Amino acid sequence: MIDRAVRSLTVGMRRGLVPGLTVTTLLLITVAVNALLAPNFFSSYSVISNFSSFVPLVAASIAQTIVVLGGGIDLSLGALITLSSVMSVVLMEGDPGRLPLAVAVAIGVGAAGGLLNGLIVAFLRLQPIVATFAMSFVFAGITLKVLPQPGGQVPAVMTTTYRDSVIGIPVAALVIAGLYGLWWVVKRSTLGRHLYAVGGDERAAYASGVRVNQVRVMSYVLGGTFGGVAALAILANTGSGDPYVGAAVGTALIGGQTTLASIAAVVIGGTALRGGVGGAGGSIGGAVILALVSNIVFFAGISGGYRQLINGAIVIAALALTAVPAFRRSPA
Amino acid sequence: MGIRQFRLIVAALSAVVLLAAGCGDEGDGAAEQDGEGPFTIGLSNGFVGSEWRTQMVEDVQQVFDEYQQEGLVDELIVESADVDVNGQIQQIRNLISAGVDAIIVNPNSETALNAVFQEAVDQDILVIATDQAVSSEVVTNVVIDQEEWGRRNAEWLAAELGEGGQIVAINGIAGHPANEARWTGASAVFEEAGIEVLTEGNADWDQATAQQTMSDLLATYPDLDGVFTQDGMALGVYQALEANDLLGQVIQTGEARAEFMFNWQEQLEQDTGFRSIGVVNPPGVAGSALRVAVHMLQGEELGEDALDGNTLFVPIPGEVTNDNFAEWFAEVEGQNPAYVVDGMLTEEEAAEYFA
Repeated sequence: MIDRAVRSLTVGMRRGLVPGLTVTTLLLITVAVNALLAPNFFSSYSVISNFSSFVPLVAASIAQTIVVLGGGIDLSLGALITLSSVMSVVLMEGDPGRLPLAVAVAIGVGAAGGLLNGLIVAFLRLQPIVATFAMSFVFAGITLKVLPQPGGQVPAVMTTTYRDSVIGIPVAALVIAGLYGLWWVVKRSTLGRHLYAVGGDERAAYASGVRVNQVRVMSYVLGGTFGGVAALAILANTGSGDPYVGAAVGTALIGGQTTLASIAAVVIGGTALRGGVGGAGGSIGGAVILALVSNIVFFAGISGGYRQLINGAIVIAALALTAVPAFRRSPA
Repeated sequence: MGIRQFRLIVAALSAVVLLAAGCGDEGDGAAEQDGEGPFTIGLSNGFVGSEWRTQMVEDVQQVFDEYQQEGLVDELIVESADVDVNGQIQQIRNLISAGVDAIIVNPNSETALNAVFQEAVDQDILVIATDQAVSSEVVTNVVIDQEEWGRRNAEWLAAELGEGGQIVAINGIAGHPANEARWTGASAVFEEAGIEVLTEGNADWDQATAQQTMSDLLATYPDLDGVFTQDGMALGVYQALEANDLLGQVIQTGEARAEFMFNWQEQLEQDTGFRSIGVVNPPGVAGSALRVAVHMLQGEELGEDALDGNTLFVPIPGEVTNDNFAEWFAEVEGQNPAYVVDGMLTEEEAAEYFA
């Protein structure tokens, strides 16, 4: 029985369907430590609020994973998410009747921004790291045009549903499960397979008839689409619009913090930044770990200034652990 | 098949976690606001990259210690880290889970924390926003009036230059509420006084950017009479003017921070004709906020005149000018260059708002 479980675990990991051992170990540790330190970790408020805190970064890290798997990187992700959120909130004006429109706009803006990134990277052949960094300022500029100052109102139904639970399961947890399901569909599709192929070895993929440029464009479009979901989660979590929602205070780099955290989550999750190896399951774990670490730092009474240091140490530890043979995952 | 089995394991594990969650104690962990102490206070600060914020946390601690000796409060939980809005939401949720009676928050957003403030208030936790006002109606803001701050700087500059004076403005981050409020106050004064604002640029509260911007603007506008700027950018402007030998000719607004005042002092000693203004933006506003919070926790209500909407404007402690420079300089002499001139409500002054 155990044997079979271990074997299925290995098979699952090889297929990249489930988070690798590194991220699973880290996740279990952070959950356990958090539960020990936080007095009401399992209270309904704590469970719901924790899951609510996870969703925006979970969606952003899936978005980043898809782009990274295809051999790219998206440094404009945070800015694009912010742009989607402000466009959506400006159109909503707190009116529940406009919710479907607002959802469509958030997703649409994300996808369109991703398309733009993809076309620039694939056809202008600019380095993704430079091209998307430049695009982050374009998205940031539009964001400030659309919503120059914090404002806008999310309909109450959106913020309350987000904090609700269905038969004891937080809605936010269901959203995360749904996002994982969507990722699973993407991964199993032809496009998903091509994504891994292009990220793994572009020339080999090209030689075997994969339309490389098309796949790269689609990786950014899909990334942007998940970014649109992140935007909606931010709106549901915050209840309002703010152009600096994903930025560290005192910096004008719109969405900068979101972008960096999404990349950290991808790395912790075991997706190789060179592309082609990994999966969003690990990144989801990475995003949750980052959030739980903040909680641990808080409840352990450690000065908040150490949070960044600990986050950095975890990213390094995750990278180091992948070098230990027992933790090494076979390439997907 | 193996995969299916693995998924079963994952599903089973999830079920266990969720079951544990469901069975968990339903209590919210928050204390009732019963008007009887001692109270637990939470402080949420989402930015640590400046001396201003460090002083702010120290000021809160100082007021807390005073109340602790009186037995009114028992614990101060400080959440201070560089976070974005989502991170600050998490900070506040942790404070709620830790069972505080009141949360003092220096908010990273005017609007985007409203939903989490509602979560706190739903659990009978008092929320006071300080430094930066928020739009939530369930929160009481204890702040200085940033519009007045901008106005007082602008009034001084307008009086120095007289009608027809030509200035440029180097402001903070575009879209930042404090920046917008200050500029709203200042630009109205300039219009009224017949001061021509040639251009308005943003240097994002960064000293080096401000210096660069100022150098560029000096090349573009050789007939400049004055500069309106804010906070740490004042020193960048000062350095650009100094490099172009224009100190005392192009008049700038300054700041009430030690490093700027050290330079100011040097200019006064050399009698160069340099003049400036530093309107105080006190970190102690958060200490004032704690005083207001403790009164409110004891069940006292703010007087009708005290509030403007849900905002209590505490007075700006003063302004440094050439006339009173020596007096203020005594406060910053020997301090760390990043030290900011401070001030906060005394217990008596705070009590007056509840009369």
